[in-house]
Amino acid sequence: MRALEIADLVKRYPNGTEALRGVSLNIETGEFFGLLGPNGAGKSTLIHCSTGLAQPTAGAIRIFGHDAIDHYEEARLAVGLAPQDLNLDWFLTAEETLDYHGGYFGMPKRERRERTKELLETFSLTEKRDDRTRTLSGGMKRRLILARALMHRPRLLILDEPTAGVDVELRLELWRYVQRINEEGTTILLTTHYLEEAERLCDRIAFIHDGQIVAQGTSQELASEYGVTSLEDAYLELVGRMELSRAKPEEIAP
Amino acid sequence: MSASQIRFFTLVRREVNRFFKIKRQTLGAPLLETFLYISVFGAALGTRIDTLHGVDYVVFIIPGLILMAWAINAFSNNASSILQQKFQRAIDDQLSSPASPLQLLLAFSLGGFLRGMIVATLTFIAASVLVGIPLENVHVLLPALFLVGFFFSQLGVLVGVRAEQFDDVSFAQTFVLQPLIFLGGVFYSASLLPEPFRTLTHFDPVYYMIGLVRYGFLGISEANVALSLLILTAATLALFTLNHRLFVRGYKLRA
Repeated sequence: MRALEIADLVKRYPNGTEALRGVSLNIETGEFFGLLGPNGAGKSTLIHCSTGLAQPTAGAIRIFGHDAIDHYEEARLAVGLAPQDLNLDWFLTAEETLDYHGGYFGMPKRERRERTKELLETFSLTEKRDDRTRTLSGGMKRRLILARALMHRPRLLILDEPTAGVDVELRLELWRYVQRINEEGTTILLTTHYLEEAERLCDRIAFIHDGQIVAQGTSQELASEYGVTSLEDAYLELVGRMELSRAKPEEIAP
Repeated sequence: MSASQIRFFTLVRREVNRFFKIKRQTLGAPLLETFLYISVFGAALGTRIDTLHGVDYVVFIIPGLILMAWAINAFSNNASSILQQKFQRAIDDQLSSPASPLQLLLAFSLGGFLRGMIVATLTFIAASVLVGIPLENVHVLLPALFLVGFFFSQLGVLVGVRAEQFDDVSFAQTFVLQPLIFLGGVFYSASLLPEPFRTLTHFDPVYYMIGLVRYGFLGISEANVALSLLILTAATLALFTLNHRLFVRGYKLRA
């Protein structure tokens, strides 16, 4: 069964901007899938449409076979989202953040208590469990957001630039953790700007540009499709900056 | 308890937990404000006005103060809570959950409703201890107060959803809500006003709400009680239906 099936997805905002222009994408169960593209390409919009944070203009989204747009309950139960923004509720403590999230997903109290304890320990947040989220450091907030996404044991985990702005130590720690949960069977959709991250973690990668999927495959397949030797060069070909990135500083100076 | 019930009670718990965490601001301040109104208007002004419609002035204003406490707290709680969560994008956690638009709307509404009810109840207890308040028509009072609370909860949700900055909420509260409440006759009887102000007061919906609550407590009303109750019920249902449509559409909540 496919974890995520997107067919002809269109998202047009009220101001007329067409963020997604007929995107079709399939992610198999158990895959670690990367979505790469420049800013404004449509990565976050695609994620928001899949998780109910944006309403598609046209097209279909199915998560483990469940409609994610009109009859979304089963689909949303299967998805965990770790968004790009540190969107924690300032009024809640770290422990409450996990407990409330579990409640929103219908988890009984005892199960919430056990899962919260387990996740706080896993992400080294036990000592901070009674601290309000706004007092946590950036790295702790990032870990808490990942823990929150995993709270209800989603089968599809969506990570929207999870390592943006984090230090190397935490990045490696997060990589290890997501690799482990992928090995345990969780399907992962990752968006990132770090090409080495996508290359190291992902089984398959799709390039999204200007609201369309322009290429997809393994990093070797993408490199050969663009006639280059690495994923980085293939990506730069995509965004049309290859010449710019290789130019000497004096050639691009004003 | 089913998963859906757990979801709903957690959404409500979040809203209640929020105002209890800042209770000095959300419960303490409104109580102090009401106490000051009773002191200033009741004790100071009341010595000069004596009675209105046959009851002591301080007793006459208390039903309006109880209504005002419930209305303003229900409104401001919901408007602030929703805007704050939109501002931080913390609301995405609820929006991406399996909760239905109806569950989300009811939970956000109940937060303010319950805060208003707590402040109104404490105001009633304090007023009863200080001056003694009759309860003439409980069968009108309870539905009237519940409808008023729910109406202003819905209004708070509407303003919170539409608002894009905190100024939008304070504008609605300062320039729309408070004038309507004050001019609706909390501190006076509209029958004492000269024309055209007496007639203009009849266009203020809060005038009828105060009439109902005053009838419930004191047994006196300047407006038709049954008609007022009917109109308030219709207005509350209309506002709830509008909000539900906005939640289904995801208006200013989902992109």
